[in-house]
Amino acid sequence: MALTTDEKMAWLEHVELFQGLPPDALRRVAERSGEIEFPAAHHIVTQGIIGNGLYIVIAGRARVVKGDQVAAELGPGEFFGELSVIDQMPRLASVIAQEPTTCLALASWDLIAEIERDPKLALNLLRALALRLRAARDEHRH
Amino acid sequence: MTPEVERPFPPGDYPVVVVGSGPGGIQAAYSLSRLGIEHAVISADPSPGGMFRRFPFFQRLLSWTKPHVLYDQRTREYEWYDWNSLIAVEPENRAVMPGLMDGTSEFPSRPEMELGIRTFAERTGVRVRHDTRWEGTARDGDRFVLHTSDGDYRAQAVIFAVGVAEPWMPETPGHQHVAHYVDTRAPESYEGKRLFIIGKQNSGFELASGLLHQASRIILASPRPATLSVNTHSLAGVRARYVQPWEDSNLGGGVFILNASIERVDRHGSSLTVHTRRSDNGDPFPAEVDEVIAATGFQCPLLDLPDLGVNVFGQSRLPTMTNHFESVGAPGIYFAGTIGQGVAGLKKYGIPANSGAVHGARYNARLMVQRLVEARFGVKRERPPVKTAEVVDLLLNEATTAPELWNQKSYLARAVTRDDDGTIRDDGIVSLADFVDSAGPDAVAITVETDDTGDIHPAVYVRRHGRVDSDARLDSSPLHDYRTTGHRKALQALVAPILT
Amino acid sequence: MNSEEVVDELASLSLFADLQRPQLRAVAHIFSEESFPPGQRILRQGFQGSGFYVILEGDVTVRIDGEDRAKLSKGDFFGEMSLLLGEPPVADVVAIGELHVLHLAGPDLKGFLERYPPVMFRMLQSVARRLRNANRLRS
Repeated sequence: MALTTDEKMAWLEHVELFQGLPPDALRRVAERSGEIEFPAAHHIVTQGIIGNGLYIVIAGRARVVKGDQVAAELGPGEFFGELSVIDQMPRLASVIAQEPTTCLALASWDLIAEIERDPKLALNLLRALALRLRAARDEHRH
Repeated sequence: MTPEVERPFPPGDYPVVVVGSGPGGIQAAYSLSRLGIEHAVISADPSPGGMFRRFPFFQRLLSWTKPHVLYDQRTREYEWYDWNSLIAVEPENRAVMPGLMDGTSEFPSRPEMELGIRTFAERTGVRVRHDTRWEGTARDGDRFVLHTSDGDYRAQAVIFAVGVAEPWMPETPGHQHVAHYVDTRAPESYEGKRLFIIGKQNSGFELASGLLHQASRIILASPRPATLSVNTHSLAGVRARYVQPWEDSNLGGGVFILNASIERVDRHGSSLTVHTRRSDNGDPFPAEVDEVIAATGFQCPLLDLPDLGVNVFGQSRLPTMTNHFESVGAPGIYFAGTIGQGVAGLKKYGIPANSGAVHGARYNARLMVQRLVEARFGVKRERPPVKTAEVVDLLLNEATTAPELWNQKSYLARAVTRDDDGTIRDDGIVSLADFVDSAGPDAVAITVETDDTGDIHPAVYVRRHGRVDSDARLDSSPLHDYRTTGHRKALQALVAPILT
Repeated sequence: MNSEEVVDELASLSLFADLQRPQLRAVAHIFSEESFPPGQRILRQGFQGSGFYVILEGDVTVRIDGEDRAKLSKGDFFGEMSLLLGEPPVADVVAIGELHVLHLAGPDLKGFLERYPPVMFRMLQSVARRLRNANRLRS
């Protein structure tokens, strides 16, 4: 696809994780992000492997699979992989492309550098993790 | 000193002893007397008034007494507009302050406030054994023993209303060069001086306001930024009256407000250097001044009570209390007056109650005494039956006019309970925290609350199956009158499950 | 406890482990110290206006639908989940014995975290840890 920085910024602006970021921060994240295309059935991330980045789906569809359970379906604008950025531990789930899928990828070290510069981004990430925690606990209760 | 024959309450055994003759002690003693409980009141001071015998130094009080409102001064509803009078049931003992104030301001002067407390005691027949200093405490079986300068008192229950007025200052290096707020001299003696005031709460700003005219320069410093009460929608923060130095600092007139911690004070000849470290960047910032005053706060003078099990917390060393102001660690020891600020209540959105001020503490004292006499002397409070059809109007009327609910928002509430035999009874004014966290029969409580946008509205708490599960808001109203069809409908829907 | 003692206490808590002394002093002034009797709810399931708390002394139990799910002690914090998600708490947090806490008003949490990124990172790590634990329980 070969997106320009401006086009990447346009994508990121709509991703909840990057809401409210000042333009220069958004530009930095856009510049650092790489565009990667995955063929259908390809593992974008693999459960149990130490992760090294965060992904944002910008085209296509991917499925989140934990063990043999389908946990979620992800489409354009949604992100995943942020937990391993924080704690550098193995991925909790695999994310498998269901069709040819394009993602913007942000390496852990770049994301962490940006979090350290941007309290707003850190707060968004905190909120995202809290949401996931709430969802995980709700599932556990049923 | 009064001749011995006229001094009441000689040392001996009493069911209850009250220590303190400020607003808290006098209010608690009044409630005890009206409930028919024999008690003694002792005080180290020579006369009633408590902290108002000395403070505030400058200016008038921050609490108002409005002489003209929609209600007659002799009514319960009027109490809401008069933050300075102690409360009484008899009409002739209500609203002492408006009669004493000279009419030039709705804020009493310190002498007027002191006179008001003494006048209330005289009119209601509350007597005090003055010049009797509490010096120590012990247990003797199920009794407490108070050692005083006049001898020993023994009691089943003791109410300490000793205030939070013991000056406290951090032991920063050089603190011997620092005066405490309590030792502030006449304003004229500060003429032309460069002042450094440690502390940016009301006492710091009070000093800055009071000495603005005399001082050549004023620096106000503490680690965190000051907050303004107009922003916090409560009494927390610097009150409107003391904002002049803030405005001065904003406009660059000679007052400087600094966020920094004080590390050291050195003397060089006749000047002092205050070594501070800025909170924003951690840089050192020295200031050369003539005088340093610490408006750093006060502590609760609890003497040896911690040895009896009274646990304390916080910089002010307040005791840990139940919602009815009884010590958690030493049951039988109670507190009245400003010490009640140690019971936080729900504190929704971080907004505190007014338990540290007279207009909140007076209701706390009444509630505390009611529960004390119920628990220890078997005096059951009246719980008159209420007709089902009258419940909604009773609660909405309270939310609209009850001074307890308005002076202690989200802290005191009016409750109605459905007893096990099906009778609905009026529980009167209750502690909201106690209501929402106690198991018990089906019941409903209403209070008034403020949220983080400043919106004031009634809040309703329903207990069902032994539990209060949620807080329901009723609509706010521009003139705070909740006796509308809409409110009736909404409240009816909330209480229907427990009334039928 | 005078303010230097509170600062010492804060310095010993992992949440504030990365702050310098002057910052700790400022934090000590931003939070208010509160004390609660046993059995008092600090966080109430379903209630508006909740705050953020750090335990200085004592223990609490986290109770959902009458069932005790977790115990928190000195140094632990609670209340941030509901504030971050903008919802009332989904659990009661109840004092087991006498409890002594630091309380930050709910509306002030986000601003506080933005002003003190090291505290936010610690909280990020804590939430991440809890997320891993929650997932571990399920598999």
